[in-house]
Amino acid sequence: MENLLQVRGLRKSFAIRSGIFRKTTGHVQAVDGVDLDVHPNETLGLVGESGCGKTTLAKIILALERPDSGSVVFDGTDIHSARGQALEHVRRGIQVIFQDPFGSLNPRKKVASIIAEPMIIHKVGSKAQRYDRSAELLKLVGLSTDMLGRYPHEFSGGQRQRICIARAMAVNPRLLVCDEPVSALDVSIQAQVINLLVELQAELKLSYIFISHDLSVVGYISHRIAVMYRGQIVELADAQELFDNPLHPYTRCLMDAVPEPVPGKIAAAAHVRGDEDSVLFPARGCAFGSSCPYREEPCTREKPVLAEALHGHYVACHQHIPPDEQA
Amino acid sequence: MATEKPVTEQYQADAFSRRKDDLLVIHDLHTHFFTPDGVVRALDGVDLRLKKGTTLGLVGESGCGKTVLALSILRLIQDPPGRIVKGSIIFEGTDLLGLDEQEIRKIRGNKISMIFQEPMTSLNPVFTIGAQIAEVILLHQRHRASTKGQAMDMAVEMLKMVGISSPARRINDYPHQLSGGMCQRVMIAMALACRPSLMIADEPTTALDVTTQAQILCLMKDLKDEIDTSILLVTHDLGVVAQSCQEVAVMYTGNVVEYALVEDIFALPLHPYTKGLMRAIPRIGARQEGKTLHAIAGNVPTVRDMPKGCTFHNRCPEVMDICRTEYPPVFRPKADHVVRCWRYVN
Repeated sequence: MENLLQVRGLRKSFAIRSGIFRKTTGHVQAVDGVDLDVHPNETLGLVGESGCGKTTLAKIILALERPDSGSVVFDGTDIHSARGQALEHVRRGIQVIFQDPFGSLNPRKKVASIIAEPMIIHKVGSKAQRYDRSAELLKLVGLSTDMLGRYPHEFSGGQRQRICIARAMAVNPRLLVCDEPVSALDVSIQAQVINLLVELQAELKLSYIFISHDLSVVGYISHRIAVMYRGQIVELADAQELFDNPLHPYTRCLMDAVPEPVPGKIAAAAHVRGDEDSVLFPARGCAFGSSCPYREEPCTREKPVLAEALHGHYVACHQHIPPDEQA
Repeated sequence: MATEKPVTEQYQADAFSRRKDDLLVIHDLHTHFFTPDGVVRALDGVDLRLKKGTTLGLVGESGCGKTVLALSILRLIQDPPGRIVKGSIIFEGTDLLGLDEQEIRKIRGNKISMIFQEPMTSLNPVFTIGAQIAEVILLHQRHRASTKGQAMDMAVEMLKMVGISSPARRINDYPHQLSGGMCQRVMIAMALACRPSLMIADEPTTALDVTTQAQILCLMKDLKDEIDTSILLVTHDLGVVAQSCQEVAVMYTGNVVEYALVEDIFALPLHPYTKGLMRAIPRIGARQEGKTLHAIAGNVPTVRDMPKGCTFHNRCPEVMDICRTEYPPVFRPKADHVVRCWRYVN
């Protein structure tokens, strides 16, 4: 299958500065060698804890942040070397929805001009055409067209997130990066927004990168899921396969921790993870090392790489060496 | 509604009769906020009962009054604009609403303590965590620790209890040196320092990662048994409720609409709102089976568009004529299961 988006060997680190002269005292490896593919009309879920690099990865894919090394190819164009028209084409093709629907809409603008803004930037249509398109988009996301003249503060969280979706859809993107789009919403409203995203995907043949820390939401919406830990993809598989057969100890730990709505069933996250070892001082070998219940000798020496352990199921763990490498 | 009255009165008489194992009984509590835009009835006749030694989950969406209820119990509602206009909060036999400021201070932080949602912002950034725990002890429990040194020793004990490694060194740390999960452990240590009979936890794990959340919930459960306290757990996550509570109260627009044992409410939710909440939880793999996620239509009503009659009627799939005009009283279809819905009139 042809890939819509192809991410190869992506790395990004941030300098830590301290003291009065802001001297660089270390580096945080936010994204540490990530390879990813997004197929057309597919939802790729991206899960991980706060600080694991999900959002940095999303920013690089959106060309809002430059990687230290590696490439992001969207629809045949390398987005970080693209200039002029080619870059504009990329930017039109990838749009974003953010977590906080309260912070991502300009409070001084009316809904009509909020939705029209991407079209103005990309010089789409005349003013009247843009207005008509805004009305159309608002209907698409399930709001009524008489809301075009209102300001963001007049809407509830769920409605604002719908406006954000309408804005993202304005220039007919092919890939939508959704960075925690439902985390700020209540359960009943969350379900509405997820259903809307699913409908839009079926109708418009979109691809999503769906970032969330909520495994049940990601598990519901995604076709494939990538699990991130300290800047690395540690496991990647089809959604059902990942939940049925999680291979990486971290994925298992994450799944065990999710409180299930079944009374009396206790989350099995009994083993306490070390608070001391932080991202700032990565140990040698496997990043999950010190917290891993299955740690063995090679884990402390060598960093495991993502490899196909079962068909279409990739994992970065010394325990799961792909068959052809087992000598 | 003359025909319904006996049922209601019987329940209320029943609910209000004091039982031996009651720790907290809230009856007909109204907390209103008087704003320039009109009166906001944040709590509108809440009845609630918390037994000794249990964890009661308070579930609901944002704006339903969960936090206002928690703050009302501690009398922390800012006046103006807010005021508790009616009702009673009986805690260990005394009505908290009848106490003066001096007397409530002896209860606040001592007999009833509170953990807030954001551990990072609830701690004072310019004091060490040891000093902050010691402060609580020095303030309330002079008989246990008369000097600062003794209080600090007790702070070390508390940190050890909440599972912080090398506590003697950690008491000299400032909040910014700790992770979110560690800060929440410190908050719990502070809340439990005086061995309260009731701990109110307002969304204690919402700001934390799932793995940390599991640890904190586990810790709260262990400590509850160890120092024999009861917990009022405010949350919007039904998964958290299922794991850590014995009883559940579901709130909607300032009122408790359903109250039952946790097993009963998950096995057979009665109120259409509770049913909707349960079905709105995404299930892994359900999309691949072609199932759409069940969503509750519409939005939570705001003060300005609060519907007449039952406040849920315009989102309710099981709405009847009476719902549009009359606010439902509490019904009790089963023992220990009460619901505010006209469908259970008989």
